[in-house]
Amino acid sequence: MSALVGRVRALPSVQVTLSIALLVLGFLVAAQIAAEGPRVSYSTQERSPLIETALGLQTQQEALKASILDLRKQIGDLEAQDPGAAESLKKLYSQLEDARLAAGLVAVSGKGIAFKLEDATQASGPDALVSAQDVRTLVEQLWLAGAEGISVNGERIVGSTAVIDIGGSILVNSAYLAPPYTISAIGPPDLYDRLQQSVAFIQFVQGRVEPSGLKLSVAQLDKVELPAFAGTVALRYAQPAPSGATP
Amino acid sequence: MTAPRRPLTTGNRISVGLVAALLGFLVVGQLNAQQAVPGLSNLSATDLTQLIANLTTGNDQLRNEIADLTSQEASLSDTHNRGDTTVGDLNSDLARIRAWAGLTAVTGPGIAITVQGQIGGDGIEELLNELRNAGAEAIAIDGIRVVTGSVVAGPPGGLSIENDALGDGFEIRAIGSPQILTGTLTRTGGVIAQIGATYPGARLTVTPLESMTLAATERNLDLTDAQPSL
Repeated sequence: MSALVGRVRALPSVQVTLSIALLVLGFLVAAQIAAEGPRVSYSTQERSPLIETALGLQTQQEALKASILDLRKQIGDLEAQDPGAAESLKKLYSQLEDARLAAGLVAVSGKGIAFKLEDATQASGPDALVSAQDVRTLVEQLWLAGAEGISVNGERIVGSTAVIDIGGSILVNSAYLAPPYTISAIGPPDLYDRLQQSVAFIQFVQGRVEPSGLKLSVAQLDKVELPAFAGTVALRYAQPAPSGATP
Repeated sequence: MTAPRRPLTTGNRISVGLVAALLGFLVVGQLNAQQAVPGLSNLSATDLTQLIANLTTGNDQLRNEIADLTSQEASLSDTHNRGDTTVGDLNSDLARIRAWAGLTAVTGPGIAITVQGQIGGDGIEELLNELRNAGAEAIAIDGIRVVTGSVVAGPPGGLSIENDALGDGFEIRAIGSPQILTGTLTRTGGVIAQIGATYPGARLTVTPLESMTLAATERNLDLTDAQPSL
């Protein structure tokens, strides 16, 4: 052993440095080739333009949502600085703020919990992937347990939100979300306790998550931040009903 | 006794420099590969086409929203510049948001779905999710408005919404395009067909309606645990 150490010490330092560097180089080349493998398989003439288009549309969507939030802020600022500032106007503005808050158009924070739901790593097949149904179930159970606001990977859940499957990922508010999914909720201090007492939640964990090998973890947090809903609130078909109209 | 260390020759320095540069290049390449949009590479051509269709429709809606907001912002600015009060603008904005959130009654065309037989809460939630995806702007079940936080839960025969039990037969009404809503629900392999496979005892019938009125929610949507972020 001491002879080997002696021989290594006898080597010029540059050779040792180069050997280590080449070793790392070889490792990285192998890793790079391995990483390129799947990409080569999808970069066919058919799919590559589709991926480029989808990426372009996603970038557009992010910019459009940012513009909406910016415009809503500008409108809120203009509404807040009315020169009249009469009492009736202040009341009207307060009602508007309350409506925006109730509608999910304002970013909120508070105590709550965050779930992380991940695909199975030790299993394969469709059941090993988190589905839109799984995310919806968790969201529904959180509402039933008393959550006041929920987001999935930064997309605020509101009355018009649809969560649908797309391949092994999901669409929420038309935004493409890939796993792992973080489902954040603000609610009463005992939100998680209430959830644990829910038969449907226990069935979800024992009947779906555990047998399929999905990974579900939870953290109780002093501060959960939920973004504002950045989608459309325009009504094309529904109009406020005239007063006195009955269903 | 160790061998004396020789200083690096120019050739050695160039070799080490080249290897270091190559290493840096590969490390960056590796990091970029790992940061590629997750999931997209796993989608089939059919999934990608569906995603593109969804993103395109969603972006069109966002553009319309931006046009509405720009117009609203311009109107407010004009009002301010004239020195007038913004009562009209505020009332209009308030009516729009309250209607969208389910805080006021709304009227419009849409569909009625009668539900009979044995079906679980998950089946009805699946149906509601599909209605939202098809562009339903307001939904009510047996007159109870479905809003943020509303959930239909329970086993077949024991369904409830907002703590109100739903009977053996009930009706779901949705305002939106009657053609789009009907087509989406009833297409081959659509949500009604899927529910039929899961709950063979359930019978769902869709009827387009020219006009309907859906009541405001009675649910309290005021927030007590969540506070506006500063």
